[in-house]
Amino acid sequence: MLKDITVSSAPHISQRLSTRSVMADVIIALAFPTAVAGYFFRFHALILIATCVLSCVVTEWLCNLIRKKQNSLDDFSAVVTGIILALSLPPSLPVWAAIIGSVVSIAIGKMVFGGLGANIFNPAMVGRAFLTASFGMLMTTWTAPATIDSKMPRINQENVIDARTQATPLAWSKTAIKNDTGADSYSRGQLEATIKGEVGGCLGETSAIALLIGGLYLLVRRTINFHIPAAVLLSAFVFATIAYLIDSNAYVNPLFHLSSGALFLGAFFIATDPVTAPLTRRGMWLFGIGVGTITMLIRIVGEYPEGLMFSVLLMNAVTPLIDRLCKRVPAGGKPSA
Amino acid sequence: MVVDTKGRRSFRGGVHPPESKHLTRDSQIQPGPDVKEVAVMLSQHTGAVCQPLVRKGNAVMAGQKIGDSDAFVSAPVHSPIDGKVKEVGLRSHAVLGRSQAVIIEAYPHSRPKRMSFNLPDDFNENNYSSEQICDAVRQAGIVGMGGAGFPTRVKIEPNPRLPKHTMIINGCECEPYVTCDYRIMLEWTDQIIAGIRLAQRACGCSHVFIAIEDNKPEAIETMNSALSALNNGHNIKVVPVKTKYPQGGERQLIKAILDKQVPTGGIPPAIGLVVLNIATSAAIAEAIIDRSPLTYRVVTVTGEAIAKPGNYYVPVGTPVQDLIDFCGGVTKKSAKVIIGGPMMGIAIADLTTPITKTTGSITVLTKEQIGKAKYERRQTPCIRCGRCIQACPENLNPTKIAHAVKNNLLDVAERYYISACIECGCCSYVCPANIELTGYIKTGKIFLARQKKKMPA
Repeated sequence: MLKDITVSSAPHISQRLSTRSVMADVIIALAFPTAVAGYFFRFHALILIATCVLSCVVTEWLCNLIRKKQNSLDDFSAVVTGIILALSLPPSLPVWAAIIGSVVSIAIGKMVFGGLGANIFNPAMVGRAFLTASFGMLMTTWTAPATIDSKMPRINQENVIDARTQATPLAWSKTAIKNDTGADSYSRGQLEATIKGEVGGCLGETSAIALLIGGLYLLVRRTINFHIPAAVLLSAFVFATIAYLIDSNAYVNPLFHLSSGALFLGAFFIATDPVTAPLTRRGMWLFGIGVGTITMLIRIVGEYPEGLMFSVLLMNAVTPLIDRLCKRVPAGGKPSA
Repeated sequence: MVVDTKGRRSFRGGVHPPESKHLTRDSQIQPGPDVKEVAVMLSQHTGAVCQPLVRKGNAVMAGQKIGDSDAFVSAPVHSPIDGKVKEVGLRSHAVLGRSQAVIIEAYPHSRPKRMSFNLPDDFNENNYSSEQICDAVRQAGIVGMGGAGFPTRVKIEPNPRLPKHTMIINGCECEPYVTCDYRIMLEWTDQIIAGIRLAQRACGCSHVFIAIEDNKPEAIETMNSALSALNNGHNIKVVPVKTKYPQGGERQLIKAILDKQVPTGGIPPAIGLVVLNIATSAAIAEAIIDRSPLTYRVVTVTGEAIAKPGNYYVPVGTPVQDLIDFCGGVTKKSAKVIIGGPMMGIAIADLTTPITKTTGSITVLTKEQIGKAKYERRQTPCIRCGRCIQACPENLNPTKIAHAVKNNLLDVAERYYISACIECGCCSYVCPANIELTGYIKTGKIFLARQKKKMPA
């Protein structure tokens, strides 16, 4: 009768939460931008997403096999990495490049550090950075959404090459600065398009509204805290406003900056990756402000039209320092001894 | 001096576990099983262990002192029944492992103690001096009955260096399942208030707040109406507080009611406060008015695996097995037997473990209640989600401390204030990776104590 009685440390009950349920929440939230990506970029988008997810899962399985560790696929984190990586890729990217990106994401970005929870950098962003550095041309070739161009590429390679390309709004604003033609006139018409998503760009970043719905879902489910998204968006907005006020001809409307590029995707899904973000609320604010500010620095001052990936990776690197800086003081104050 | 409640009636952090109090909320306090044998532990409190005053073969009477100590921070123990000392030997103790106990075999004629007594009409706490009350509390072996078991005399005795101005009576009972204090508030209302008045008289506090969580409106009402029958001048007030775990932790309670923070490493007297449990104040009244020591207490026997859950008045020293058998026995569904509630209670494997003065409940949970993850105790890596940090009522960094302990970095654990942890279990409760954060922190505290040679290995 007694053999079924177990003994362990208190507490003996727990909230019905698991790493898997947290990750499942993120997957549900990512379904919104994923669906929109499928709508705008059609079949090839779904092929890319499926490729990334599958190769991430296989890579993690293989890594565990090689390291002789317990299979860790059931926490769904590889799926999340795959989807986020796919959403941050340009729609015309060939499948083989997506596979390389996924393998690098999981193997170099996560598993070499010891798997989930031990990685320093956001795995999806590691994979994307690798692709950007290795295949710069492919990573900056943007096809227009299918809703604008009905001759969207199907899966075969010729069509990809034939596909009509379109500059992303951010890339456009970048050249606008250089040509001194006044970015403002362009951005006003484009603002609506960037919110809906009818613009060129990475798979998941074009539609601000879908990202916002997904992000709100995560906030409501308390899977993420509002601190990081709020800090990223606010600091980016403030930075862009300052630039806009200084010279409204050279720099685009701050709202346009918010709704275009990877800022929403980054604020809600990438920067909020708990493993690579600070633990405390104060740390989260600092981290988010860092991400937002560096992104805008790169966008406005730097060479690249988009800087979210680099800013997230940079802030990932200083996360341990932020954690050390924002140490919590006990409720009763520091002990006097 | 005007001291009033200023807090927002709660504290930062905490969790909301399912209350599960419906199982025993409406069951009246009833006499417990007829015990054949009790094992009275010689250490049922914080402080020095008692020395046995009886030997094998001695006959003892109910209420007779059978263990005492000369130390200031200690409390004597008494026999709850008439009987014969079978042996003085080792028994399982919920907290201390194997520990000294006096085992008493009951005489067949031994009668259970009456549950409550009638307050004399002319009761007036001013008939007793502070010393008289403190002395009687010490002689009756009263300790904090909420869980920590700090000797009550040490708490209420006036200290010229640290004068006490406010007393808080803790009727929160934030631990899920447990209802013993709630039933006492409903059924022994006058006795509690008499105890509070005596304690107030002893420590000289000008203000008394009775804190009750707002999920117990009947208790709040009962206490309020009993207080309004008193003539004014006692300055006793019922304060409803937010229902949140661990609202009944004294540091959290003080923050909620007075918006004051007890310094880390300090105790409430450092800021002029006394916190007493509801059951303790009932015991004080019993000790002084009825002159009977603390030998019985109300225990909630509850949990989904118990056939007949209820609140029982049982002798201290009753084996857990007897109580469970009395309530329908251990069923096949039982997966865990816990002394205390599910958040802070201690799971036991040896059902002969006796209850002590600090045992408020016995909770027997099924596998479903524990949850698959907790039952199998499979931990996944920390994903640094920060839920433990937000849940921690003491504003600590549980994951950092726990992982420091796990990697044997006790100095890091100390730098993150491991000793400030109140072991409430909120962090483990919310952890999605199912890491036993509280368990690691407790382990770390033991390692540190051993390192400092305060505790034998």
